[in-house]
Amino acid sequence: MLGFLVRRIMVMIPTLLAISAITFVIIQLPPGDYLTTLMTELESRGEAIDESRLQFLRESYGLDRPMIEQYFVWVGGMLTGDYGFSFEYNRPVADVIGDRMLLTIVVSFATIVFIWVVSFPIGIYSATHQYSLGDYGLTFLGFLGLATPNFLLALVLLYFANVTFGTSIGGLMDAAYLDAPWSWGKVLSILEHLWIPVIVIGTSGTAGMIRRLRANLLDELHKQYVVTARAKGLTPARVLWKYPLRMAINPFIADIGNLLPQIVSGAAVVSIVLSLPTTGPMLLDALRSQDMYLAGSFLMFLALLTVVGVFLSDLALAALDPRIRLEGGATR
Amino acid sequence: MSFHRLLAGCLALAAIAFLATVPAAAAVETPYFAEQVAAGKLPPVGERLPADPRIVTFDEDGAQQGQPGGDMTMLMARAKDVRIMFAYFYARLMTYTTDLTLEPDILQSIEVEENRVFTLHLRPGHRWSDGSPFTAEDFRYWWEDVILNKDVPPFGPPPEMLAGGEPPLFEVLDETTVRYTWKEPNPLFLPSLAAARPLEIFGPAAYLKQFHVKYADAGQLKERAKAAGQKSWAHLHNRMDNAYDNDNPDMPTLQPWINTTAAPAERFVFVRNPYYHRVDPAGNQLPYIDRLLVQIADGKIIPAKAGAGEADLQARYLRFDNYTFLKQAAKRNGYKVDLWKTGNGAHLALFPNLNTADPVWRDLFRDVRFRRALSLGIDRDEINQAIYYGLAHPSNNTVLPRSPLFRPEYRQAWTRFDVREANRLLDEMGLTSRGGENIRLMPDGRPMEIIVETAGESTEEVDVLELIADSWRKIGVKLFTKPSQLEVLRNRIYSGQTLMAIAKGVDNGIPTADMAPTEFVPMDQNQYQWPKWGQFYQTGGTAGEKPALPAAVELMDLMGRWRTAPDTSARAEVWHRILGIHADQVFTIGLVNGTLQPVVVRSTLRNVPDEGIYNWDPGAHFGIYRPDTFWFAKPG
Repeated sequence: MLGFLVRRIMVMIPTLLAISAITFVIIQLPPGDYLTTLMTELESRGEAIDESRLQFLRESYGLDRPMIEQYFVWVGGMLTGDYGFSFEYNRPVADVIGDRMLLTIVVSFATIVFIWVVSFPIGIYSATHQYSLGDYGLTFLGFLGLATPNFLLALVLLYFANVTFGTSIGGLMDAAYLDAPWSWGKVLSILEHLWIPVIVIGTSGTAGMIRRLRANLLDELHKQYVVTARAKGLTPARVLWKYPLRMAINPFIADIGNLLPQIVSGAAVVSIVLSLPTTGPMLLDALRSQDMYLAGSFLMFLALLTVVGVFLSDLALAALDPRIRLEGGATR
Repeated sequence: MSFHRLLAGCLALAAIAFLATVPAAAAVETPYFAEQVAAGKLPPVGERLPADPRIVTFDEDGAQQGQPGGDMTMLMARAKDVRIMFAYFYARLMTYTTDLTLEPDILQSIEVEENRVFTLHLRPGHRWSDGSPFTAEDFRYWWEDVILNKDVPPFGPPPEMLAGGEPPLFEVLDETTVRYTWKEPNPLFLPSLAAARPLEIFGPAAYLKQFHVKYADAGQLKERAKAAGQKSWAHLHNRMDNAYDNDNPDMPTLQPWINTTAAPAERFVFVRNPYYHRVDPAGNQLPYIDRLLVQIADGKIIPAKAGAGEADLQARYLRFDNYTFLKQAAKRNGYKVDLWKTGNGAHLALFPNLNTADPVWRDLFRDVRFRRALSLGIDRDEINQAIYYGLAHPSNNTVLPRSPLFRPEYRQAWTRFDVREANRLLDEMGLTSRGGENIRLMPDGRPMEIIVETAGESTEEVDVLELIADSWRKIGVKLFTKPSQLEVLRNRIYSGQTLMAIAKGVDNGIPTADMAPTEFVPMDQNQYQWPKWGQFYQTGGTAGEKPALPAAVELMDLMGRWRTAPDTSARAEVWHRILGIHADQVFTIGLVNGTLQPVVVRSTLRNVPDEGIYNWDPGAHFGIYRPDTFWFAKPG
């Protein structure tokens, strides 16, 4: 087991290095750099910026160096906890991301809880009452959520909330609380705004969750040991809870690997439509304006979370399901 | 608005002293500061104002004296947009009035001799927002230690400070007087001080010296630069000295409001400047409004937020096609929607690339008959009706009627829809053979297919091109649209890969004779009709190509004549020659102008004109209408 752990961790390092190189190259692929973006933006407003100043800024940001050198500076910095400098915000990347992280985690976490709370009971009900009216009705609802375009639903809910409750449009709280310290009012204001993104992002995720749980449970429920348990006179509830459900949530555990980065990056499209102060829109802007270090460090962070998440879900699966063997090591 | 009542040239010859016609009332303490003054944290208002504050009058139509107080919310899409606020604030050494005459603002007065010698008088007792004195030292520091310092941007005098290629002689005459003397006239100097993004000739020396190696301890400075993630003291200074960017809350300012929030933030709070130099006739220190709140929201959601009544004043990020939606919710959410005219010379224009790499096309584009034929082959009325609901004006890419330089022929030359005349011109050029679909053939036998490239930012451009494609078919020319992306498009234009581009026309469609005609002369590679000629001027002849058409050479000569013209009427004469050449030569094919910009204004907000001009320079969008005089009436 220990050997397995060490091996897994050793594999992570080249994986992350490869990801960092690919990320860097892709960010650099579009023509120009951050300064050309800046220049275009200025000129579109009729302002001018002269070449010598641009050159000065290039030096300032280290953009005048060869590509390969820029890459090593960046990677080397990351190893020592320096994620580079955001051109757009004129501050270290760590500060920029840190500011938005908390709210992103709040939104994503609430969404994930929402998805699980909704889809679990429905999934179990659908599996145990297969082909009943309830099964069809609830599944239909789930599919409806999946089929509605997120951005459209977001806009409709925004309008509805604004007209009926007077909720301010977009964002995660009323403007008055933006720079205020934490208070009950602020928490309530966040809750008032939070339900829209949670419902919008959540509804699109429930359908998949419901169907997977339903399918897995149905597989399990027809197995020998369930029949045996029933024959022994266990209550239906106990029959369901003791083994089949534990087996059926196997895919969800495997999903943890994807869940971690999701918590951090959130649903970018919805966040952009709703103008949430989360990391998704920030990443998109950074990519657009070629704010290289901000975008790159952020993507690296997501990659790290994914790699770690997959590792954790492997461990959890092994703990949960003894049938899963670690690379055949235990058979010898 | 009284743009047609132009009093041009008030500054050209003689000394102008700004005389307040209103007797100064005793200054009244602003309620916002009353507590701080009582606690002894701030001096009383009488001591905060300069000895001779600028008294703002309200003879504009509909503007009235107001009362202090209130918060004004505006929406912006990015943290960086707080720089736009600097334009809106519009406190400048010199400012434009709404009829586009220049007058001293931060300056108490100015004396100009022969447009060469500029003597600037500051207001005695004027202070920066942190209370430190604003004096000639702030000009000296900026000139000697920033502009002339080889290590700090701008690395030498900016182009507006060169006349005949020479920098000025700078002198400090006394604590409140400085003088700039050029050998040749420098007509660019004063307009650039009054620009939306002004030429910077002073800075808060007392504050900035702590970042300057000449005044601070070098070792400590190195540490500070490192701590701020900057390479050297020069980079640190450059990071801290951007008045225009509004990105350094510690930096003292002379503007009506001070930014108190550092990026990144979801909301930027600007509070009133206790040392601001303008008062109203009743003795209230301006600005009227206590705080400006700039809320950051995604650009796409800003129209929706404005429609929900979340902005007190908003124009940026609102498009004309949001108008109906905004209007619909206006009553319910307590605001009104005005339509302001935009100030571009053309809302959209076609730019045939006279420097295109393809020699056959290049020769065609350089033939004036060809350009005229293309212009005659466009049905501008149809475009106006179909896309702009008939609210715009068919026009060349030239000055707007509100400019004193306007003449109807500049607008109308070669803009009528005349297929027969266009065909006659093309036949006269010998382009008589036709290929498939009745499309004319070029001299080398290729079908005449013009690819027009767009920056791909709006479907509007594509729609307009569809209409033009239909009418050009009637003159035997085929049009293809190619949307790309702004940076890509520009690089293609610069290198001559494009045949033609569609984009906005000249930025300043409301110039006076005293503003430089740079946009009409090949002086910038950003002029899509002659990028290489512009580059040639920009780089001092090291790159690009020498202008080859006689008309373009003449434009360059005229620019030189404009620079050295002795007075406004001589400059106006040069302008008319330039505009005449443009109308006749059709270097750019303007389509429509005078399009409209929706402006959302809170119902209780006063002094925002119902019909303003939405122009960047001159105008600074809201700036020229003096947002420091906007105020909130008590609802009721």
